[in-house]
Amino acid sequence: MNHLQLAFRNLRRRPTRSILTSAGVALAVGSFITLYGLSQSVEQNLEQSIEEHGTDLTVRRAGTAELFGGTISQSMGARLAKIPGVAAVAGELISLINTDRDEHVLAAGWARDSFFWQNVPLEEGRLPHRDERKVALLGIDLARAMQKHAGDAIGLLGEQFQIVGITRFNSIINRNVVVVPLADLQELTFRPDAVTFLSVKLARPEDPGEVERVVRDIDALDGLSASKSENVLRNDSMIGLLRAVSRSMAWVALLMGVLMVLNTLLMAVLERTREIGILAAIGWSTERITVAIVIEGFILSVIGSAAGVVIGVVGAHLLNSVPAIGRFVAVRPTPGLIVATALAATVLGILGSFYPAWLATRQSPAVALGRV
Amino acid sequence: MTNLITLEHVSREFDGGRVVALRDVALTIDNGQSVSVVGASGSGKTTLIMLMCGIMAPSTGLIRWNGKPVTTATEWTNLRRSQIGIVFQDFNLFPTLSANENVEIATFGTGIDSRERKRRAEAALDAVGLSARSNHLPHALSGGERQRVAIARSIVNRPTLILADEPTGNLDSVNGEAIINLLFDLHRKQGVTLVLVTHDVRLASLCERQIRMKDGQMSEQPPVRTLRAAK
Repeated sequence: MNHLQLAFRNLRRRPTRSILTSAGVALAVGSFITLYGLSQSVEQNLEQSIEEHGTDLTVRRAGTAELFGGTISQSMGARLAKIPGVAAVAGELISLINTDRDEHVLAAGWARDSFFWQNVPLEEGRLPHRDERKVALLGIDLARAMQKHAGDAIGLLGEQFQIVGITRFNSIINRNVVVVPLADLQELTFRPDAVTFLSVKLARPEDPGEVERVVRDIDALDGLSASKSENVLRNDSMIGLLRAVSRSMAWVALLMGVLMVLNTLLMAVLERTREIGILAAIGWSTERITVAIVIEGFILSVIGSAAGVVIGVVGAHLLNSVPAIGRFVAVRPTPGLIVATALAATVLGILGSFYPAWLATRQSPAVALGRV
Repeated sequence: MTNLITLEHVSREFDGGRVVALRDVALTIDNGQSVSVVGASGSGKTTLIMLMCGIMAPSTGLIRWNGKPVTTATEWTNLRRSQIGIVFQDFNLFPTLSANENVEIATFGTGIDSRERKRRAEAALDAVGLSARSNHLPHALSGGERQRVAIARSIVNRPTLILADEPTGNLDSVNGEAIINLLFDLHRKQGVTLVLVTHDVRLASLCERQIRMKDGQMSEQPPVRTLRAAK
């Protein structure tokens, strides 16, 4: 017999309580992985969707707190194109619009000369012709969900569009977006000459000094702000809010799990006062008694964390199956997040066991044995 | 014979001095002796035992082990692990551990490996005649068998002193007799010093020395007979 076996024996003595405690830790870890993973995935998916178009810099109205919150004039693109080091500029208008099935889809309006058209992987059909209007490209996931194919029609804000192609981008956002000519979306949303942001392709994106200079030149233009694609979401207030809420909830969930371990061990210690006294009477040191109790906390935390990883992964999968979420975000907790969460829960569980262990060793053996 | 444990002017008070459980006790027990402690309930017998194993600290006075003062909790813990075995009236076994494991648990921290720990636990159970029941949980054992397990636990680390606090108090006369025979057998064969707390004058008379406690004070009775004389 060793300390680990002894701890298992003690935990098996009250199986319901031990199982419930581990389940609590599991739910906490699972919630943390799912919620934190959601927050991470939103950012990763948005970044991926921007980078997939070959964008190096994203330019938006200076001072707008959220990425999709403001619009700028499409004509600003011509001014950006004149900045040395800028290879191409594409305006993009983004809007959440209603379909004829009363569903909301994310629509992107691309100008006919946009460099975005050069990076469109087609699953079926073709790209729109240069001056073609009232045509649409559907992302493959959206097309599957709506059971649409090239040649079918789709109603957007009351107007009929012909689906000319189905795209197969990698990012979940682009797989669920409907791309239409910029002019059509500007008309439908009553935003003539407006784009949500301007995407810039650089001549030498690998040169950090050149990139910084172009960013400074764009920022010097009145009312514009440029960000590298990987930084574009850093200062977005909506993303920041989502990040803050989901991560706060995740941490609260994790701390609740730790408190459950602490509470369970505290009760166990109080119930086993006499046994702890016996251990002291047969020569167990305070350090050894502490270790014995902390091992119980360790076991509860490890079992809870392992089950929590499963719950987190399954929870992420379930979130993805909810259309309102899965159409815009693929929640995929990273291995790093999973490992870090499981480790953090285990370490916090161990730390949470020290208090009951400390209480156990503080009591006088004579009192514990009922000899006073 | 050498002094094993010495109490020098030891007192123990509770409730800030309102209750004096032990008053200025002076006692020396030599290696290999058997000593009985008798007295009415509340006379200070158990307090004396608790002080002799360091589970309770004296309010005043000094306790020596082999002539050296023992003052810290760590020193007492080390003594209880290696030199002192304690047998309680109410057995104090762990309900989820088998007889063997209840004995083995006392060997934790002695620096021996798990295989040797297990072997020693089996040997201790064998010494108390319980090897056939080593895998049984305490609830499956009789009162006498439980006390045998407790005795096995107290001897597993080969102590020099066994403190037995009313070891037959919860047993019928047959089992009580067997436990007493066992304790005296260990005392005789292994030379273990035995301190036996009891209400039973007949049991007390089996010891070489008899100490009587009354109102926290100690007096020593002349021996009725000693084991050595009996030999």
